[in-house]
Amino acid sequence: MSTPDVEISSTRRTVETIVLVALVVAFVATTLLVKWPADAPAKLSLDGLGIILAAGLTLIMYSFLYRDNPLFKVAENLYVGVALGYGAMLTWYLSLKPEIVDPLVTAPHNGARVDFLFGQMRIIPIILGVLLLTRLSRRHAWLSRYSYTLMVGWGAGIGIPIVAHSYILQQLEPSVRPLAGGFWEALGALVVLVGTVSVLFYFFFSVEHKGAGGVVSRVGVWFLMISFGASFGYTVMGRVSLFIGRAQFLLEKWLGISL
Amino acid sequence: MGAPQASIRRLALTRQVIYVLVAAAVIVPFLVHFPLEGKPSRVTKALFDKVQALPDGSVVLFSFDYDPSAMAELYPMSLALLRHCFRKGHRPIVMTHWANGVGLCKELVERASSAVGKKAGDHYVLLGFKPGYSNLILNMGESLQGAFDKDYYGNPTQGMPALEGVHSLKDIPLVVDIAAGATVEMWIAYGRDRFGFELGAGCTAVIAPDLYPFLQSGQLVGLLGGLRGAADYEVLLERPGSGLAGMQAQSVTHVLIIGLIIAANVAFLWRRRKT
Repeated sequence: MSTPDVEISSTRRTVETIVLVALVVAFVATTLLVKWPADAPAKLSLDGLGIILAAGLTLIMYSFLYRDNPLFKVAENLYVGVALGYGAMLTWYLSLKPEIVDPLVTAPHNGARVDFLFGQMRIIPIILGVLLLTRLSRRHAWLSRYSYTLMVGWGAGIGIPIVAHSYILQQLEPSVRPLAGGFWEALGALVVLVGTVSVLFYFFFSVEHKGAGGVVSRVGVWFLMISFGASFGYTVMGRVSLFIGRAQFLLEKWLGISL
Repeated sequence: MGAPQASIRRLALTRQVIYVLVAAAVIVPFLVHFPLEGKPSRVTKALFDKVQALPDGSVVLFSFDYDPSAMAELYPMSLALLRHCFRKGHRPIVMTHWANGVGLCKELVERASSAVGKKAGDHYVLLGFKPGYSNLILNMGESLQGAFDKDYYGNPTQGMPALEGVHSLKDIPLVVDIAAGATVEMWIAYGRDRFGFELGAGCTAVIAPDLYPFLQSGQLVGLLGGLRGAADYEVLLERPGSGLAGMQAQSVTHVLIIGLIIAANVAFLWRRRKT
């Protein structure tokens, strides 16, 4: 049994390798034809090189739809690495350097440094930030707790009342609106009320869902299903939009087709 | 052993056929154009009307909280909103909570402003990125110039003509957050409900359903959901862009997916009846 499987797998792998090589050759040939037409002088800007690279990486990423492959692995790791490196550099140049390093390094005199650290109280966030880095050392990791304690305490103190006000109290009002106004407004308010109550009841497990309670619970399930359907529809739209964006890029920027 | 393997192979083949069909449904409409008519949604029109109703020269703060991975969905609506503001003579202030989104912010605002001859500092402000998320919003609510003492280009924000009369978020009539994450909820809780400005939002389609309750409660004045929201805004602005172009492909793909869902259900019911 195992021998034919191995043979099929080996044959298939050979065919797939040939197809992969053919696709790479096709990509290079297409790029050469589009970017260096015979009647035009050869010219490649940095932007042009970026477009070719992006087009190649886009196609490699989509090759995963057929099967995982080494080129996809390279592109995947490249994406993660570049995104992380880009983010780190931006954080350094846009935040840490101008906010902390430059005022200390380029200060005209020590008085300015003292004023920056103690007059403007920058010493406190700097120390708390440095303490977070002690997580890297097992021996000194406990020091980071002071920063975390402050973050959690401050976050809870500020966040709890705000979240309760914005996400609970403000949301209660539209859930129990009077059936006033036009027909459609009243119907909408009724649907919201029925939906809210029935879904809440569905997640209320202290009472057995039988009889009238069962009906309300079932109505809640229908509301949930419709909600999941709407979310799924939007998700499909989102994923297709991402592909549309890539298709637009490939057609317009790489192949030079005017859309 | 044979039957399940054959079934798995058939399933894999079906999956690949679906990929090819979706690819065709996306690519062909770009090559074969067809008229697409649609009525802009009520929630998109609400945001458009809000921008339109602001007195000329008003300040509108944009927080473009996304990076290139969500560019396909959010870039077209960001561009349409900025174009609308410049057309109305408003003064956009552009910032981001995402470090990786700074390049996009710069490209967006420079593209929209250069077409109408608007200048940084005079007609718009590019604040750029600053870490802090909710803390930054609270800080901006106290003092905008305190939170951002310099703009992206390194110019001091104090005394900047485009920021005339603006000292904090309380002085800004409209904030629009274009988001690929949870920043809209953050702007609602830490910004809108605390400092009293009107808040509009644009978001990826995936998170749009989560934001509808905030429309109903009035915490959002309008919402642009995914590419459809961008296309609707372009229709209202009477300036077609990549959002509307993408919606042709989107519509064809949706028809295909609906067809596939129906076909799969019919096949499922037929098979169940047969067995």
